[in-house]
Amino acid sequence: MHTHILRKGLISAVIGCSMSFVASAELVLVVHPSNDASLDAKTAQRIFLGKESKFSNGKEAIPINQAPDSANRASFDTDTLGRSSTQVAAYWSKLVFTGKGIPPKEVGNDAEVIAMVASNQDAIGYVDSASVTSAVKAIPLN
Amino acid sequence: MKKLFVLSAVALASFNTQAEVRINGFANLVGGITSSDESLYGYDDTMSFASESVFAVQVSADVNSKMTATGQLVARGKNDYEADFEWAYLTYKATDNVSVSAGRLRLPLFKYSASKDVGYSYHWINAPRAIYDVNFNNLDGIRLDYNNYAGDLEYNLQGAFGTVSNDLNTSVGPARLQVDNLMLLSAEATYNYLKVRASYVTAKASVANDFIDGTIKAAFRDNGLDELANNIAFYDDTATFTGFGIEYDTFNWFVGGEWTQIKIEDSFNPTNTAFYVTAGFRTGKWTPSVTYESFDGNNPFKFLDKVAALPAPFQPTATAVVVGLQQPFADEYSVINLGVRYDLDTNVALKADISKSSNDMNSAEDATLVRFAVNYVF
Repeated sequence: MHTHILRKGLISAVIGCSMSFVASAELVLVVHPSNDASLDAKTAQRIFLGKESKFSNGKEAIPINQAPDSANRASFDTDTLGRSSTQVAAYWSKLVFTGKGIPPKEVGNDAEVIAMVASNQDAIGYVDSASVTSAVKAIPLN
Repeated sequence: MKKLFVLSAVALASFNTQAEVRINGFANLVGGITSSDESLYGYDDTMSFASESVFAVQVSADVNSKMTATGQLVARGKNDYEADFEWAYLTYKATDNVSVSAGRLRLPLFKYSASKDVGYSYHWINAPRAIYDVNFNNLDGIRLDYNNYAGDLEYNLQGAFGTVSNDLNTSVGPARLQVDNLMLLSAEATYNYLKVRASYVTAKASVANDFIDGTIKAAFRDNGLDELANNIAFYDDTATFTGFGIEYDTFNWFVGGEWTQIKIEDSFNPTNTAFYVTAGFRTGKWTPSVTYESFDGNNPFKFLDKVAALPAPFQPTATAVVVGLQQPFADEYSVINLGVRYDLDTNVALKADISKSSNDMNSAEDATLVRFAVNYVF
């Protein structure tokens, strides 16, 4: 009897979780409207891990990251970079102290990412698709 | 001299209006205590922090769009926190794939060579000693780095040339290591979760020590036994280093290992063969791991065949000296380590581990060590 109730509770909790997951933010890449480079999640991963410094059109790529404690950063690190924010930090600590790389600049929120990308032809960032404005070009991440 | 070089490079950069100066740092506070009066890694049965604690500041400045000056000022507990510029080099980025660095820099011998001192960058409290405790980690010279990728395959080639000079503490007193004409080649390839690497070094090496040099002179050179003296002496001898590494890291779990061998055949120094294997998994903020390391520098004594060829009256003394010079440097041990890392923040990790060492030459030196660490990067 008890287990039965417990199971029901579990199932509704699981449904609740998956619904909130569907409803949660979808991230998109944002670049300057004039940027004609071809971009996908793999390229974004390379750029944000410092493995690639240029766009496909040969122009310099300047990644703009979000603050480590933001929800968008956590899902970008997990879904696009394929590791937790802590592992990303450990990865950068290796590069920084060997002079092999400098981690991307970090800003506080989606609006700041959009402001930076809108004003810099080389910048690339990621924001919640709901935050996208006409000042930037959005590219889906999947 | 080194300090002047870095300061002037930084100053030079800061006079340029476009220059960007970056300051980063890391700290490892490590405390440890052994369970008995046997010591391990410099710890004994009273809690101490000096052996492995490190504080470091790195300053790097863009001299121009292609050139960067980097200096790393490191204070180690084992040197009474006396700060020293362990690295000071200029890097010239020739192309997107090729960079050249010159100055005092880390020799890419091992998988974690570059970040060996940055505890935050790995799961251990310290990289396995059996492999990483070599006397030639930093090079005065030049290093070439080549990075590229093809699809999911990323690869990195490094070449280095230079010299190493180091003061050593040996069981027969202080010694001076001098390594010249050091040439290194290393290659690393990453394919999805798999990473493999290989490195090879060849050099001319010498170790000067009063006791050893005096013994060889009195026993052999003064008796006209120059050939035997040259065999046993560690002077301008060919030294080779060979290393292999493999790692499979899915980010949820990982397994990896390295194997290295150091040979200086024409000297009293034993051939050292070492390896470790490590495995662990990441669950939320926790990373428990297990590591086994093994060091074997315990080989049959060299040059006994040369002694046997000497006239009989020379043989007893020659045998005693040939064995007596090799014995103090023979070593064979293994360590099993259980550790856990806890990610307190994206720049702070807490760690604890327990290591049990087994000395295969003298079991009275077996020890059990417990350590705690805080790693910080900024």
